[in-house]
Amino acid sequence: MKRTLFSLILVLILALTACAQAGGKPAASGGPVEIRFMAWGDPAELEVWKQIVADFEKENANVKVSVEVSDWDSYWTKLKTLLAANTPPDIFAIDAPLYKDYQARGVLLNLKPYLDANPGLLDGLYPVTLKAYETPEGYFGLPRDFQTIVVFYNKDMFDAAGVPYPQQGWTYDDLREIARKLTRDTNGDGKVDQYGFYADLWDMELIWSEGIWAYGGDVINADATRTLIGTPEARKAWKLFHDMIFVDGSWPDANTAAQYGGDPFLAGVAAMTTIGHWAIPGYAEASFKWDVAPMPAGPAGQATSVNSAGFVVAKATKYPQESFNFIKFVLSEKGQTRLAELGFACPVLKSVAESPAFLEQEVKVNHQVFLDSLAFARMKPSFKGYEEWSSVIGDGMSVVWTGEADLDATLDEVVKQADEVLAKNK
Amino acid sequence: MEAGLKPLGREKFWLWAMLTPTLFGLFFSAFGSLLATLALSFTRWDLLTPPQWAGFANYVALFKDPKYLTALINTVRFTAMYVPGVVIVSLLVAVLMNRGLKGISFFRTAYYLPAVTSAVATALVWQMIYGKDTGILNYLLESMGLQPVCWLCTDMALYSVTIVNIWGAIGEGMIIFLAGLTAIPKEYYEAAEMDGAKGIQKFFRITLPLITPSIFFQTLISTINAFQAYDYIYMLTRRGQGDSSVPVVVFSIYRNAWHFSNYGGASAQAIELTLIVAVLMGLYLWLEKRFVVYE
Repeated sequence: MKRTLFSLILVLILALTACAQAGGKPAASGGPVEIRFMAWGDPAELEVWKQIVADFEKENANVKVSVEVSDWDSYWTKLKTLLAANTPPDIFAIDAPLYKDYQARGVLLNLKPYLDANPGLLDGLYPVTLKAYETPEGYFGLPRDFQTIVVFYNKDMFDAAGVPYPQQGWTYDDLREIARKLTRDTNGDGKVDQYGFYADLWDMELIWSEGIWAYGGDVINADATRTLIGTPEARKAWKLFHDMIFVDGSWPDANTAAQYGGDPFLAGVAAMTTIGHWAIPGYAEASFKWDVAPMPAGPAGQATSVNSAGFVVAKATKYPQESFNFIKFVLSEKGQTRLAELGFACPVLKSVAESPAFLEQEVKVNHQVFLDSLAFARMKPSFKGYEEWSSVIGDGMSVVWTGEADLDATLDEVVKQADEVLAKNK
Repeated sequence: MEAGLKPLGREKFWLWAMLTPTLFGLFFSAFGSLLATLALSFTRWDLLTPPQWAGFANYVALFKDPKYLTALINTVRFTAMYVPGVVIVSLLVAVLMNRGLKGISFFRTAYYLPAVTSAVATALVWQMIYGKDTGILNYLLESMGLQPVCWLCTDMALYSVTIVNIWGAIGEGMIIFLAGLTAIPKEYYEAAEMDGAKGIQKFFRITLPLITPSIFFQTLISTINAFQAYDYIYMLTRRGQGDSSVPVVVFSIYRNAWHFSNYGGASAQAIELTLIVAVLMGLYLWLEKRFVVYE
């Protein structure tokens, strides 16, 4: 009996200490300050962040940074829960399209005073990546890296068919023609088992915003009050995608693509795809040779999408200065070089992006294409309600890409619903 | 039954001492979150800014939200197929398992295995079975000279995922029914055999009436599970970034809360789901009084 009581007390004590530990970090004055940094990513990214933190702590003896990395989905759930409980991490990663949403809801710190105290800090960054974080009141966040979308192509398939690789200056008509040539039945069973092209059509970033821009349309107006994906110009791009899937059969429909894990290019059944630099570490494992080429041009010229991941500081932070210093460090040559070595994204600091750290990284493909694409890149939009708006379009159009619904009628309906979301978020 | 098992004196103290952690957890996590959800369902809340009172606006909006109504209809259709499916199939399996066959423990384990395997992993296997061009099922159909079916396309997906969910639930249903079956005294069957009853007669005249408590319990549990079903369905029907071709109510709740910053609306959906289940439970309990035979 005595023993039971003893173990019961022991359990209680353990539980209480566990609670106390979770409860918080004592902010002892004079002692080292601990700031929390949260980001999405995989274990490889956690390792790189730990190295960056170690470098930072060497230069800032009084600051300790704890890093938490979660996968994309759980990251946002975790972050929102922490924000709701008013115990957010001091610094957290943000995706540019979602940035305005968080900013509009007033949970981010305005970095203006800290930037004013550091004139010239942003001079070395690519201006287009900064633009996403600009607001009339100043910057509430800064980019840490960027992604431009380019064409990835399977060299083995091109070589086998004797088709020349895509070149700067090619057009969407060329893309369609090449895709048709590369669509084949390689084992002769009467069914197509190699497709010319595949890109996921749910999110605008991979192909449809690029296509709409190249055909002279736009996705949304400047003050985010009207959805423009149903204009005659935009419909030309939609029709091209639709024809490639359902007339040429050179682009697998959504149901077919799902059988290849949603990425027929990586599965070795699609000759081309459009995606960003983040795909490179995964594609490096593929059993075929591949390289990258710039996006094709349309009647209105060449266009691609640029999007940047960045950092924000929580308004509720107790250590704004220390948090800002950490961001500043990641934007320095040292921090950016480390991030470049990771191989997932393009550095926002020009001097590092144009250095061997980025251009001659482990996976040898033409990395310069990602930088050159900035010349004709347009920003992925960012506004309050972005996620619901993009879901209404992505979900709404998905029945078109499985071949169950008519393109034009669905577009009409989707534009109407998307505009309702915009009105609701005003 | 009642005598002899009542806790006495010091035992009573330990009984409460051991129950306290569970009751504590139940009270705060289950009732606490139920009440919090109820309160939130009357607010407009994006998680980040303070909640604002919205009255019944979230509930009114539910009936005008085509996405929610689609999810609700899917859930109801799913439940209508899933509950009878689970009850009938697991009862049949349990009756088969109750015979003294050789190697019976292997089959019992095999049928129970889905209950202890990760739904995400098994859903991936089902994806290989259901694939349109590469799936095993269509390969079999084609080798028999039949047309391949797109099992996970929108018009078939609901049926396909219902089959997977029933398959996943057979194990637990089987355990419930096996317990009920072994409790039926052998003498009843022996007496029936003396009177010349056949297998089918024995099943409908003896087994079925005597396991109505198990059937009732299994129907109740399956109904609750059906309204909460999510993992297999999502894994098999997800497309793009977070979309599903067969959205169910739980999926809609998750999406509204975490992706659309609509915590109030998500709470209203959760409350409505709870109410539907509560009404069904009330109906079942009423039916129980009329049809369930306890010895």
